[in-house]
Amino acid sequence: MSNQRKRLTGEREDEDDEDAEGIGEWERAYVDDRSWEELQEDESGLLRPIDNSAIYHAQYRRRLRMLSAAAAGTRIQKGLIRYLYIVIDFSRAAAEMDFRPSRIAVMAKHVEAFIREFFDQNPLSQIGLVSIKNGVAHTLTDLGGSPETHIKALMGKLEALGDSSLQNALELVNEHLSQVPSYGHREVLILYSALCTCDPGDIMETIQKCKKSKLRCSVIGLSAEMFICKHLCQETGGLYSVAVDEVHLKDLLLEHAPPPPAIAEFAIANLIKMGFPQRAAEGSMAICSCHKEVKIGAGYMCPRCKARVCDLPTECTICGLTLVSSPHLARSYHHLFPIAPFDEVPAFSSLNDSRRTLGKSCFGCQQSLIGTGNKPGPCVTCRKCKHYFCLDCDIYIHESLHNCPGCESIHRPKSVSLMEE
Amino acid sequence: MIFKIEDVTVYFPYDNIYPEQYEYMVELKRTLDAKGHCLLEMPTGTGKTIALLSLITSYRLSRPDSPIKLVYCTRTVHEMEKTLAELKVLHDYQVLHLGTQAKILAIGLSSRKNLCVNTKVLAAENRDSVDAACRKRTASWVRALSTENPNIELCDYFENYEKAAENALLPPGVYTLEDLRAFGKNRGWCPYFLARHMVQFANVIVYSYQYLLDPKVAGIISKELQKESVVVFDEAHNIDNVCIEALSVSVRRVTLEGANRNLNKIREEIDSVQLVGRSKATDAGRLRAEYNRLVEGLALRGDLSGGDQWLANPALPHDILKEAVPGNIRRAEHFVHVLRRLLQYLGVRLDTENVEKESPVSFVSSLNSQAGIEQKTLKFCYDRLQSLMLTLEITDTDEFLPIQTVCDFATLVGTYARGFSIIIEPYDERMPHIPDPILQLSCHDASLAIKPVFDRFQSVVITSGTLSPIDLYPRLLSFTPVVSRSFKMSMTRDCICPMVLTRGSDQLPVSTKFDMRSDPGVVRNYGKLLVEMVSIVPDGVVCFFVSYSYMDGIIATWNETGILKEIMQQKLVFIETQDVVETTLALDNYRRACDCGRGAVFFSVARGKVAEGIDFDRHYGRLVVMYGVPFQYTLSKILLARLEYLRDTFQIKEGDFLTFDALRQAAQCVGRVIRSKADYGMMIFADKRYSRHDKRSKLPGWILSHLRDAHLNLSTDMAIHIAREFLRKMAQPYDKTGTMGRKTLLTQEDLEKMAETGVQDMAY
Repeated sequence: MSNQRKRLTGEREDEDDEDAEGIGEWERAYVDDRSWEELQEDESGLLRPIDNSAIYHAQYRRRLRMLSAAAAGTRIQKGLIRYLYIVIDFSRAAAEMDFRPSRIAVMAKHVEAFIREFFDQNPLSQIGLVSIKNGVAHTLTDLGGSPETHIKALMGKLEALGDSSLQNALELVNEHLSQVPSYGHREVLILYSALCTCDPGDIMETIQKCKKSKLRCSVIGLSAEMFICKHLCQETGGLYSVAVDEVHLKDLLLEHAPPPPAIAEFAIANLIKMGFPQRAAEGSMAICSCHKEVKIGAGYMCPRCKARVCDLPTECTICGLTLVSSPHLARSYHHLFPIAPFDEVPAFSSLNDSRRTLGKSCFGCQQSLIGTGNKPGPCVTCRKCKHYFCLDCDIYIHESLHNCPGCESIHRPKSVSLMEE
Repeated sequence: MIFKIEDVTVYFPYDNIYPEQYEYMVELKRTLDAKGHCLLEMPTGTGKTIALLSLITSYRLSRPDSPIKLVYCTRTVHEMEKTLAELKVLHDYQVLHLGTQAKILAIGLSSRKNLCVNTKVLAAENRDSVDAACRKRTASWVRALSTENPNIELCDYFENYEKAAENALLPPGVYTLEDLRAFGKNRGWCPYFLARHMVQFANVIVYSYQYLLDPKVAGIISKELQKESVVVFDEAHNIDNVCIEALSVSVRRVTLEGANRNLNKIREEIDSVQLVGRSKATDAGRLRAEYNRLVEGLALRGDLSGGDQWLANPALPHDILKEAVPGNIRRAEHFVHVLRRLLQYLGVRLDTENVEKESPVSFVSSLNSQAGIEQKTLKFCYDRLQSLMLTLEITDTDEFLPIQTVCDFATLVGTYARGFSIIIEPYDERMPHIPDPILQLSCHDASLAIKPVFDRFQSVVITSGTLSPIDLYPRLLSFTPVVSRSFKMSMTRDCICPMVLTRGSDQLPVSTKFDMRSDPGVVRNYGKLLVEMVSIVPDGVVCFFVSYSYMDGIIATWNETGILKEIMQQKLVFIETQDVVETTLALDNYRRACDCGRGAVFFSVARGKVAEGIDFDRHYGRLVVMYGVPFQYTLSKILLARLEYLRDTFQIKEGDFLTFDALRQAAQCVGRVIRSKADYGMMIFADKRYSRHDKRSKLPGWILSHLRDAHLNLSTDMAIHIAREFLRKMAQPYDKTGTMGRKTLLTQEDLEKMAETGVQDMAY
């Protein structure tokens, strides 16, 4: 029915159906409630709810292929320690209602989700928030590793006013990021809802400045493609994308969560001094160095200067040491060695496939792979261990687990035997 | 890539080819085989030029026994340079694959202003004064004089070129104007005369329309071209107007005054020559020799010394009778008297209070009875003037333009009895209180000027992005094409989005129809449309209005009602004016505003300079709004006369022609936004009349095929919604080669496959 759902199924179908759906397109704007979109007409004219799982899975596969294609061939060095500023455009255009309830609310909602996801995937990195309002850029939060403080600061000021200025935002961020250590990757992610930028000076110079200071700028537009944004992203090696709808916006944002490939000239091996603080004893009382408040229990102690901090990872405010915990380091590891995407099992040939008859259930969740009407449901297989997985497990393995259960179960006895020798 | 079209091996300098380019080449090849003329319409941005060049040069290579020459006509110098640059790429590719035997000589030819390398000559400000400054240094008598008087300044480049004489040749290669200048500077040869000389040897010549269509210029530049030439008119949608302009003359009061001054000067010259003549036999001898020559009735142009070419006769070659100059103007004094009487008569006619329209026949007969100048005398005016000026050794040709215009007029009136009319208007229709009399000899028949081209050359190719309706052009130009086809653009995505907006947001119809255009509701609705659009379209927006006066009016109203202010909150506003410098400046700033992300709106006029020659591609034009249907000013006397002629001679209905003309202008305007396949843009036709079938169907096929039924009758808010969706969709990354369903980039293998299965089933 709607454009958005169709797009997920792939380009070809989208184009074929263009004429049929063109008539209804404009009517959509007049009704807020889109309940009929959940229904689809099948070949015999019956209405039935849309089965989204296959569509979502196809979309996910495409994303996965894209990522692995980029990583194929050589092993790419990734910037694991990132200093990311998120710039949110709260100018007049952000008040528009084409995203429900308004762009500003939708942006805030998804940035919140993004911040959580970001720290989940990049435990060693830090985020800062900047907003554009009335043609001026304001710092909402400084660089920091605690999701809660950022989210609190973001939700505090939701109002849209005045013009937007890309240059001011870039200058501000550039200034902030000039102080970060050289091993860190500087990035800006701009959520831009306006369609023009009112700048005090020549923005081209600012872009060159960003390029020189190795600032990777990415922009997500909310309405249409702007030349200057595209130019900025091309120059600084970032990504430029425009959101079609809310779901797409979320996807585009989350694309920025995994660490990007390191800039070539920047990718020199570097030793970084880090502290692994201990969690303070329950019930001990101390003034934390980050909030200047007295806190009982909870918190970490810097191994060098013994100052108390609330959250990890962070930089010790007293001695400037980078403080992390070992699970954080471990969690970053999988970005360097991602699991290869699973192969799709073609539905038509699988019946005669002898191997297929062996595994009728998913190796991950043990659910049956036989779909409705005794036809084999869609499934995928790992290239290494040849185990079958259902689509849900496929997504779970690649996006959260980062380990293939099949391969792990084969490898374990081997590694044990190695240890014994 | 190298592939075969029937029996011709085509060398194409790129690895991939669009299906429409391939089809275009097939049609073109068949035209060449048939040695006939053709009309081909293909949207801009599909690589028309390279397809054309590569087929014709390859065709030449495959028929070594009968080499054809390519004459490529462009409208502007800029296009000429672009064409030559593409030819260079192609030429390098062919030489790479075939070796030196594929070498060709290709040159661009332009006026002295663009080719001269003499800094002193170039200092002159306009084209005519550059020409005059050049003549002052290169005329044969000036050079003869300088042998006695070393103080006379000559042009070194020309002297060197003359010295080299027959050895002054260009080695094979592709020469842009820049290359020619560099070569000339390097060798010390005059590039302009060298290029003129090389025209007869070159395999490819790129020059402006005028060099073939304007008989004054064509007579000297293009007369040596062989019959086995292929003539290409690129961007030829306005070719009928070019043809008409080539044969039209207008005389104003200033022209007459200037001509009178010129005559006085000529008179003085004649007197001084005769006075001096008493003491010096040579000078007076000149006039006598001229007289004798005229008595013998030698063809005037052939026997004058080589370097001193003047513009040839304004009438077409075969209309010039091979007769002797009539007796009453053979003597210089008598000719001056005749011209004086002619000027007087024209002055009297210009004094009229009413608009007068006359046929050439009746004009000539009244001229005969009142001023005693007969038709035959008139016919020879232009040639006689040239001869006289040469004899008097006048080099300041730019000063003598007015008298030349008058003689031009006289010759045309004397030569043609049909297809022309003379219109005298005492004032401009739009400003009736300011007297500005103008006498116009206007040509109505476009086929007159182009007929010699069709007759003379083996194949003439007329091609453009907008030639719809394609069956009208053969009638207007009266020829029979062997092939006339319109090609569609194959696209990987729907990158253009034409819409017809018929109603404002209040559901009232909008139109620029005469009775509606000043309605405040319409003006407001048009304004609201733009206000809404600038807030959702990024970067550049271009608006076209039907005329300057309408644009001025509507902008003034928008300013009063605050609409302009609302627009300026979103984007900067730039306006085209009739002043070229101002407009160029505005365009420049418009581009800068688009580049730096501020966004801008450009207000322009259909049929203006901007609509014809400036591209608003990529982010410079994401949306173009065509306000109203750009009909010509239907009360114009010239247009009415032309319409009448078209109806009587070619059986083309007035309405049909007007609609055709308006729609091709509209298509030209909106076509400015898309110049390549990677580009995208929206087009809004804001007038309720566009939704009617008779108007709409005259748009080119490539626009029509994207105009969906649902987009034919929109109101402002619906258009806004469609625009939003479209812009979002276009901002997504896309696959350049196209998906399996529609292949838009063909490789060599694809072509071989296509050759087997036939073109039609794979193309779309």
